[in-house]
Amino acid sequence: MAKSIIYLDNVKRYYLVGDYFVKALDGVSLNINEGEFTSIMGPSGSGKSTMMNLIGCLDTATSGIIKIDGESTNGMNETELAYIRNKKVGFIFQQFNLLGKQSALKNVETPLLYGGISPKLRKEMAMEALDVVGLADRMKHRPNELSGGQKQRVAIARAIVSNPSILLADEPTGALDTKTGHQIMELFETLNAQGRTVIFVTHDLSLGNRCRRQIHLRDGKILGAI
Amino acid sequence: MFWENIKLAIEAMRTSKLRTALSLLGIIIGVGAVVAILNLGASATENITGSLAQGGSDIISVYPNPNERTQSIFNIQFGLTLRDSNEGIDYVIPVMNSHGNFKSKDATSSSNYLGVESTYFSTQKLLYSSGSGFTAQENIDANQVVILGASLATKLFPEESPVGKNITLLTGDQGKMTTFEVIGVLKDKEQSYTMNYNDSAFIPFNTFTRKIYKITSVSTYIIKLKPGYDTVNVTNQLNKFLDSIVGSDGYNTFSSAMIANIASQVTGTLSLFLAAIAGISLLVGGIGIMNIMLVSVAERTKEIGIRKALGASPSVIRGQFLVEAITLTLVGGIIGIVFGSGLSYAVTNIAGWTLKLSYTSFAIAVGFSMFVGIFFGWYPAKTASKLDPIEALNYE
Repeated sequence: MAKSIIYLDNVKRYYLVGDYFVKALDGVSLNINEGEFTSIMGPSGSGKSTMMNLIGCLDTATSGIIKIDGESTNGMNETELAYIRNKKVGFIFQQFNLLGKQSALKNVETPLLYGGISPKLRKEMAMEALDVVGLADRMKHRPNELSGGQKQRVAIARAIVSNPSILLADEPTGALDTKTGHQIMELFETLNAQGRTVIFVTHDLSLGNRCRRQIHLRDGKILGAI
Repeated sequence: MFWENIKLAIEAMRTSKLRTALSLLGIIIGVGAVVAILNLGASATENITGSLAQGGSDIISVYPNPNERTQSIFNIQFGLTLRDSNEGIDYVIPVMNSHGNFKSKDATSSSNYLGVESTYFSTQKLLYSSGSGFTAQENIDANQVVILGASLATKLFPEESPVGKNITLLTGDQGKMTTFEVIGVLKDKEQSYTMNYNDSAFIPFNTFTRKIYKITSVSTYIIKLKPGYDTVNVTNQLNKFLDSIVGSDGYNTFSSAMIANIASQVTGTLSLFLAAIAGISLLVGGIGIMNIMLVSVAERTKEIGIRKALGASPSVIRGQFLVEAITLTLVGGIIGIVFGSGLSYAVTNIAGWTLKLSYTSFAIAVGFSMFVGIFFGWYPAKTASKLDPIEALNYE
């Protein structure tokens, strides 16, 4: 039986704006098993990013149950959430979010730094991760010396370096041209084929449709799923 | 993690050099001023006590200030009374003091001259450049011999050795003349607070009292202490004893140790007071650090968001910015120590003192600048650690 890696039960996330609540996520239930490649699609404001932030433990739910790798994140404090982010989740953002003053290698090493890995092992693991994304020869470069596609590859290397159970990609191709976007998508497919669970948020139907499982969100609710 | 944080801090300082330099200025000036003042205070104390100690730290001088009632008390016998008054006193040398005109074959000089006992020279640590002192017997016999201070000797005998030559002393209004044979010349001796040895002449005590002035009142008692007795204590006891005999206005006591004690207290208090004022500029410097750290946190909100997303806990973020603030103030502190030491060196050079670096002041400076870093870095670091990860990530 497949192991549940992400479990959401009637999860709500409301924001208080002025005098009324904005229901960013309004009762979402979802189960994703280990090794799945899931795309999340929907228009702006449909709750995609909110859902990603909740799964990635950057945010906490107003109500409902969230379990990551079988562990409930409800009631965790900031330090415990930081630990989950570090060990279980790899983030990939639309705007790459690399540390601009650091080399590609140092960027990839950062999660290991917070994971308490020794400097020597950090370097080895980071070089290996850069090799996986095909950027072993660019490890000394700073982000401003890299193309958009290369930056995203560095970001992916950073996300996989500590070997997390989940890769959360929030519109990772949004800032890239179509061709590069497809290359990045192929990289995700390869990583998924190696057994990693991937959740992929996108506007792009042609990319979203390449995923075996698709979830459509609208107004904070799941409209339909394949 | 700690080293990573220091690397990050240095990197942050290098990316905005001018801003870092400007915000460090307050700390540099503050630490520099504290270090300079404490070092100068230590050097001043050292120099004052050093030059006072030359006068002999185990010697107390008693200067009678006689009036009609007490005039008769200060005689030679009173030296013995003084000696017996305190077990710390080894011996007492009565000294007569006057002023007269000396005349050699080549020159004249108006100088101070003293009537002393033979032990005076060793007690005052006076050394001979030529010739020697007089013996106890020569004193008893009231021989007409004289020992000259270094500069007086050169003045009276610019071209030849004075030893063996005669000089004449003219005293009083009547121009009484007494001839002396020079038997010794003293080595150059730094002027003490009460006495210029170089421009003085020394004759036997009995010669003074019997052949020049037929008086018995002593002008100074030089008191030599036994080893192991505290000069300040004995001086205080002596003052009490003299108070009971002649009253507090009937005499003055002087001891280098007493003056050194007061001087070091004064410079110590003064330099502490000044250092405290300089400390205020450290406080102002600290506010500058806090300001720059708040700017740094605001500018790097996005970076903080990224680090949080990658698993940095609040305490890790707080540590990063705290280490950055401490690194900043420590660098400022070290530059300040160099700056302050340089300033002390320049001032002591001009004043002609020997520089005594106070390592305590370095420790205080380092400790204080670290404290400033922690104290003023805490709030910005806490602000950084409390940032909401999502808001920080979306910050542009």
